[in-house]
Amino acid sequence: MGQLKARNSTGPFSWKAALLFVITGAGMIVYFKVEKERLERKRIAEMSKGVGRPKVGGPFVLKDLDGREFTAEDLKGKYSFVYFGFTHCPDICPDELDKMAEIIDQVKEQTKGEDIFLPVFITCDPARDTPEVLREYLQEFHKGIVGLTGTYEQVKNVCKQYRVYFSTPRDVTPGEDYLVDHSIYFYLMDPENDFVECIGRQDTPESATKVIMEHINDWKREGKPLKTE
Amino acid sequence: MGWFSGSSSDSKTASDGGRIAPDRSSRQRCWEGRDKFFTCLDNNDILDAIKDDKQARRKCGKEVEEFEASCAKAWVKYFKEKRVMEFNRDKTIERIKQEDAAKVQDLKAQGWTPR
Repeated sequence: MGQLKARNSTGPFSWKAALLFVITGAGMIVYFKVEKERLERKRIAEMSKGVGRPKVGGPFVLKDLDGREFTAEDLKGKYSFVYFGFTHCPDICPDELDKMAEIIDQVKEQTKGEDIFLPVFITCDPARDTPEVLREYLQEFHKGIVGLTGTYEQVKNVCKQYRVYFSTPRDVTPGEDYLVDHSIYFYLMDPENDFVECIGRQDTPESATKVIMEHINDWKREGKPLKTE
Repeated sequence: MGWFSGSSSDSKTASDGGRIAPDRSSRQRCWEGRDKFFTCLDNNDILDAIKDDKQARRKCGKEVEEFEASCAKAWVKYFKEKRVMEFNRDKTIERIKQEDAAKVQDLKAQGWTPR
């Protein structure tokens, strides 16, 4: 009996072994949890890759605020963050663009200033939103937002590619007062220009930044290329 | 308020032919006008300022004038419609919540326990 007791205090199941066991176990639980979350995000990110899947986004031709052609190819190499709106929008777009500005700054800070995040504003109202109008409008929110406009047909096409309901009247007389429909989501696209996730009205700048940073970090961890210039 | 004063051709034209949208301070002014007008409607138990336009103008004449002077026409219509839509939406949500609560009560009375 005494022998057994002695062995209990010094034997293979000493407190050190028990502590090691607990630490290893806790470490593995944390590791599995992190890994599981990463795989879940990967699954979401890859849902829109491959053939025969419903795609958000696709080829388009628009022009930037300097009048240069801007196509879907120009979005590649960075994570892009696409929003559809119009400058005469009464209340939702201005709120969302203020949010976008906060997200841009937070992502910039968390990527230590790396230039790998491209926020884009595409107008659904090309008749009124010319480059000059867009520039003035977007400057009030964030200088980093790339504004895009185009002809009626070009804008109609890009809305279709991103599955945005397009209701803009074709023939508007100058100065006419009207509203148009637009998407209320931000579209996060990966550097291969595949759709990753939607950021909606319910997201705060913080929750949106968290989602975006997780995807950016996953991309980096897998060693995939990013354009930083 | 000038260029942004409610007539149908109210926005300035940019040099490249676009129409300049209200800036941050114009938007703010419009929203303040809207909030004052809606507060007045609330105080007078008026919901739909389009359907009950006459009544709204009688009770909140000053507020509606200010609201319409500081917002574009399309915005005025949008906000008036949105007020009705949001009221109905909230009422529907409230009704569904109450129905759900009643149902749970009912089921509990029959001996069911929520898991």
